[in-house]
Amino acid sequence: MIRIKSSIFENHFNISDNEFKKILNTALSLGGDFSEIYLEYRMHNSIIMEEDIIKETSESISLGMGIRVISGDKTGYGYTNDLSLEKIRKTALTAASISSGKITQKALSINPAYPEKNLYPVIRHGRDTSLDDKIDLVKKAYSAAIDFDPSIQKVKVSFSDLTQHVGLINSDGLKISDIRPMIKMVCLAIAEKPPDLEAGFSGGGGRVGIEYFQHSLTPEEIGHEAATEALQLLEAKPPPAGEMPVVLSPGHSGVFIHEAVGHLLEADFIRKKTSVFWNKQGKKVAHEKVTILDDPTIPFFRGSYNVDDEGTLPHKTTLIKDGKLVGFLQDRLSAGLMDLPLTGHGRRQDYSCIPIPRMSNTYIDKGDHDRDEIIKSVNRGFYAHRFQGGQVEDSGKFTFSVSSGFLIEGGKLTTPVKQATLIGSNLDILNKIEMIGSDLEFSLQTGTCGKGGQETPVTDGCPTLKISSMTVGGIK
Amino acid sequence: MTDGSSYEKYKDLAEWMVSFARSSGADEIEVAVISGNEFSVDVRNGNIENLVEAGSRHIGFRLRKDQKTASASSSDLEKDILKQLVLNALERAQIASRDLYAGLPERIKPPLDAESLLLFDPCINEMDSKKKIDLAIKTEKIALLDNRITNSHGAGFETREVHTTMANSNGFLQQYKETFCSLGAGLQAGDTDHIVEDSWSCTKRFLHEIESPETVAKKAVFRTIRQLNPRKIKTQNVPVIFEPRMTSWLMGFLFSCVSGAAIYQKTSFLAGRLGERIGNPFITVMDDGTMPGRLGTTPFDAEGIPSQRTVVMEKGILKNYLCNTYAAKKLKLESTGNADSGGIGPTNFYLQNGTSPPNNIIASMEKGLILTRIIGHGLNPVNGDISRGAFGLWVEDGQVIYPVSEIAISGNLGSILNNIEMVGNDLEFRSSVCGPTVKVGEMTIAGESN
Repeated sequence: MIRIKSSIFENHFNISDNEFKKILNTALSLGGDFSEIYLEYRMHNSIIMEEDIIKETSESISLGMGIRVISGDKTGYGYTNDLSLEKIRKTALTAASISSGKITQKALSINPAYPEKNLYPVIRHGRDTSLDDKIDLVKKAYSAAIDFDPSIQKVKVSFSDLTQHVGLINSDGLKISDIRPMIKMVCLAIAEKPPDLEAGFSGGGGRVGIEYFQHSLTPEEIGHEAATEALQLLEAKPPPAGEMPVVLSPGHSGVFIHEAVGHLLEADFIRKKTSVFWNKQGKKVAHEKVTILDDPTIPFFRGSYNVDDEGTLPHKTTLIKDGKLVGFLQDRLSAGLMDLPLTGHGRRQDYSCIPIPRMSNTYIDKGDHDRDEIIKSVNRGFYAHRFQGGQVEDSGKFTFSVSSGFLIEGGKLTTPVKQATLIGSNLDILNKIEMIGSDLEFSLQTGTCGKGGQETPVTDGCPTLKISSMTVGGIK
Repeated sequence: MTDGSSYEKYKDLAEWMVSFARSSGADEIEVAVISGNEFSVDVRNGNIENLVEAGSRHIGFRLRKDQKTASASSSDLEKDILKQLVLNALERAQIASRDLYAGLPERIKPPLDAESLLLFDPCINEMDSKKKIDLAIKTEKIALLDNRITNSHGAGFETREVHTTMANSNGFLQQYKETFCSLGAGLQAGDTDHIVEDSWSCTKRFLHEIESPETVAKKAVFRTIRQLNPRKIKTQNVPVIFEPRMTSWLMGFLFSCVSGAAIYQKTSFLAGRLGERIGNPFITVMDDGTMPGRLGTTPFDAEGIPSQRTVVMEKGILKNYLCNTYAAKKLKLESTGNADSGGIGPTNFYLQNGTSPPNNIIASMEKGLILTRIIGHGLNPVNGDISRGAFGLWVEDGQVIYPVSEIAISGNLGSILNNIEMVGNDLEFRSSVCGPTVKVGEMTIAGESN
């Protein structure tokens, strides 16, 4: 158990426990089953460098409160960033109006709780680091990319650090808080070989301190990687079109698991029976070698948190075990309605949003094949290396966009290829995962996932994977 | 929740901030206060799922000292906090680089008259919550009457009122109010292992313009069930018809390629091509922020420049890039009034109507695809490449014969603009970036192996 010395309750919202309890009771005054106050204070700093100069720096502060009332399967929500007691009471009454009866529940007395561990034991916080030192990192990444090769014509580097304080008080008597750091540095490099222009991208960060850029990923590596990708794309050909065996690179291809599996195991889609997986618990849905997990407790990862946005302590959740569907990602509302245990996956973008079940750090577990052995097994196919993102719909149809890849010919990576879309249907593709590498890696710590208009930081990972056949969108 | 008195108050706050920053040493500053309120209800299977009602406000500013820029924003409007943010920004500005192109617009032209632009509907705020909820419930109920619909993502009704207050140290001080409302529904059809899904929604500024629950439900049902029992198709090159919603994303991509920021940064394949023919003679694209009542209309942009009508492409010739003050200076052009909080944004950016009725366009196609939906990313402004997952309807001899799914379309915006063979006459301003039905000569559809 860790105790955070100065929490959001004392520092930014000068409201007593007694007053909080009154607000929770106001929210329950029309008969709701559960009420909750979410407090958020966010400090965000950013630096942009392009055209060889530090163009702009910015600082932003956001402070607000969201009040939620659950009544059966209905949710009432109000939020405000005007924190006068009068506005807060009005917000509580707005949330209360989801119910329209007599009071049935009263808020229990408030008992402070604490996270079990601190997943972000940062040494030097972004917020405590001088602007000069941060600019120095930005310039290093910038120079590394622009000086990499004469064909690199343009570079843009942006750096941001965020500190998010969250606090939760609910009618079950829970009071808990978390301070979540986040750093992100990304580099875009444009290479030109007239008439062709290509862009390369790289970056890193997570819930880390500035020391990350010494030990884990240097600014020079970020710059070099972006430049290398841009140069490689200059030599790349349009992709082939049609069905073929596909090998997915370790790490970057994690977006595949995120789209093809993760979203459709979020419990709201299961409970509403809109997900193709809703009636498949305990059933075989993937090749027997496939095990998929979501773990919000990986230290320093972008998708991690000490406590979720509903006050639940998170734990690692197995979604698919040896090909069988065994678990869902739960938030409080869905877990309650489905009568299943909480998993700590209730997340929200900010205080203006209702929490919903979300992924954190999602990955497919490692198998026993060597990467070279996997590539060697393909006579003619496609190797997907880096990705721009993906999307899925509840039917299980998903797509993800490959920014760079290679042809596989005679068991070897040959011609570099650019801009391809892979498309498939998840139940079909999950059964076509034929070989799983022993080389589990995670993607760049820069990913953001969108759902229902809410963006949250996530990470995903996977080892090298071979899919026996998949549709590659390319040029014929 | 934002009453008239606070609207006036924000004018004072913005003015105060300008004078505080100036007296603290800033050479120039621009300030925006955005405030407003929102209401949204989601209903599913006849019951309310979520009900959200809230008000919020925040202030943002950008200041310069010795041509060095720093910006900040805050949702906390306490003057002590705001003073500190100004002082911090002045300190940060010193560390930033001198940028000869940065600066406020030089001349202040009067903004357009907000009232005659028809941006604000007082009825929206006066509308009773119960009526709003009933609209959503009724829409879903009608949709679920169709027995081919097997599940519902729910229906929703949303209203938003936004107040914008802008000031700068060149003496600009203006305000305007606007409203939005939106009714939509998302549906599924087919059994669990063969689900198809789609949605329909209508967004307007005025309540009386919103499509009826019957219309929204009917369109959502139509779009969903027409996809039932999809087939896969072989990989091939065929003509592709873009439905208006699909033309909208194509126009969105074109916007990102004519945005002045992408041009001066040379991250667009259209950089350096002003005055050149980049498309067929029947393609004309406009950006027009002055159209009364449209979703992208504003009296002035995020720098206080009055909105205007800009010809982007005229009969296939690239005529203008869209710029804020900064990009305009970089490119030695004039601002087109397209500054937004993040840089450069469209106002009403649209492909002008053609002459062909959509049915004639379909009838003209011997064999090809009507593109109805896309998923995924795969747009690259640097070279114009497009690659996306797609859904559509297969056409032979001018007739839709079956739906298709699990395909990917590939092409290049540059070649699409030159290959648009027909432009429909069905332009409706359903979103701020839009266009009518178009037929593109040839694109690659990836599907099954041949």
